[in-house]
Amino acid sequence: MARSYRIFLLLLLFGLLASDAPNGRPQLEPNVCTIPLTQVLRIPITALGTQLTAESLNAAPATLLLLPGATDELPWGPSGFDVLDDGSLLITDPLRSRVSLFGSHGAFRKAWKIGFAADSLTVIANGVVLVREATTGQLHVFDREGQALPSERGALPEQVEARVLNSNSGTVRRPVIDNAHGGPLAVQFDRPGLTLLSIETLAIDQKDDTYVALEATASGNAAEGLSLNKYVRRYSSDGKLLCEIADIPLDYYVPPVDELRVRKGKVYQLQTTNSEVRINVWDTNQLCSRPSH
Amino acid sequence: MLSRLPLLLVCIWLISGLHSHAQVGVIARLPRTTRAEMVARAKKLANHTWVCGAPNLRASCSKKYLSDWKFGQRVTGIPYRWGGIDGPEEFDRKLADGLAAGAHSRFGVLKCAAGIDCSGFVSLCWGLSASGHAYSTSSLREIGGKPKYNVFADMKPGDVLNKPGTHVVLFTGYNLDGTINVCEASSSQARVVCRKTTWSRFKGYIPLQYKGIED
Repeated sequence: MARSYRIFLLLLLFGLLASDAPNGRPQLEPNVCTIPLTQVLRIPITALGTQLTAESLNAAPATLLLLPGATDELPWGPSGFDVLDDGSLLITDPLRSRVSLFGSHGAFRKAWKIGFAADSLTVIANGVVLVREATTGQLHVFDREGQALPSERGALPEQVEARVLNSNSGTVRRPVIDNAHGGPLAVQFDRPGLTLLSIETLAIDQKDDTYVALEATASGNAAEGLSLNKYVRRYSSDGKLLCEIADIPLDYYVPPVDELRVRKGKVYQLQTTNSEVRINVWDTNQLCSRPSH
Repeated sequence: MLSRLPLLLVCIWLISGLHSHAQVGVIARLPRTTRAEMVARAKKLANHTWVCGAPNLRASCSKKYLSDWKFGQRVTGIPYRWGGIDGPEEFDRKLADGLAAGAHSRFGVLKCAAGIDCSGFVSLCWGLSASGHAYSTSSLREIGGKPKYNVFADMKPGDVLNKPGTHVVLFTGYNLDGTINVCEASSSQARVVCRKTTWSRFKGYIPLQYKGIED
């Protein structure tokens, strides 16, 4: 009796293993290392009334300015940012036509008077900063000290192409490094009840690790409002999933143009609320806190 | 009180009947349009090029007005005007008449300015005339039905993503990476723009489909 029971269990085990084979039920992802929120930098905001006066624009220069908007008009304020190599932050302050520089702990350092409202900025090679003029889309070039370089023509780094293949997989067309590294990166997103919506390549770092942002949803029925989650993943150059960030808040008061940035293994998120600008930081260089499954 | 209950129910039935009858009337009067026409109108509003003259930098009806533009600046996209619903021809005429180019809510609804806001933009894309009823993001629901589809896979060009009281954008297509293309009258960019964007910006938005569509 005991022997036949064991045989039955063995057969059941084999059956389960066979159903997880590539041609059977989709294989669930191996345990993914999940990175918790490491740090939140809080930068104070000054919310203006409906009046924009010289006094209100000059008040509290170490803060960022926000205009709350109105019915059928979105609030207006910081929507662009990037991170310098030393961890300091550049954030657009469009109401004052400037870009503000904050230290790696969020302390105000100085402001660049750029003379136009900017909605996005990107730090490229050698600390050169491309700042986008909101009303024209034109890119202006600045050096790391905030000096305009009018003779320079700025071009944003080419976006690495990505593609969603089906509800749980996609691919990123990374440049080929050698036979074992680089080339197409397979993104597998096997989460019961969740459908993969989009893949966006955020960065490829000096180790040739790739950072991608994924959006996923539990339901396509948006009768009560769209619902979705966002993830950031880091993959090694040979395509191995190293870790994942799964707790990205999506409650934006001012919709960001530059939502996520990656610098030296840290993922930064710009989240402008009605009372402060939060820079949420996840350090993917640290050890995993826990597997996500 | 209980004896009046049937009367109350009859009243509710009559009022709801009147309301649905009025709704049918509104829908019957809606101009018919195709999805291709909606997207073409959106692109026309986003690609409309104009030059800002000196009179267009001032608003005669507002002392506190500040312009988003510079003298002689060549701009692509109809400027943002809170409460506005000017199409390209109407905008050009007002610009030539010396009205201000665009205005934000902090200056109020300015009659002396020309341009378009987010719900005005969607209304024009849906083929409603500038002189017709002005719909806000809160009243767009009257002429836009809630589709029962999967918004992430089955939305069609010309449908909108709306957040009542906040903002509305016109959907124009999906991309291979799963992001979407939208056109909108953007207050922060001060004009009508079309762009590629991720979904996270639209958390809480509701899809609507124009009731006068010719599919």
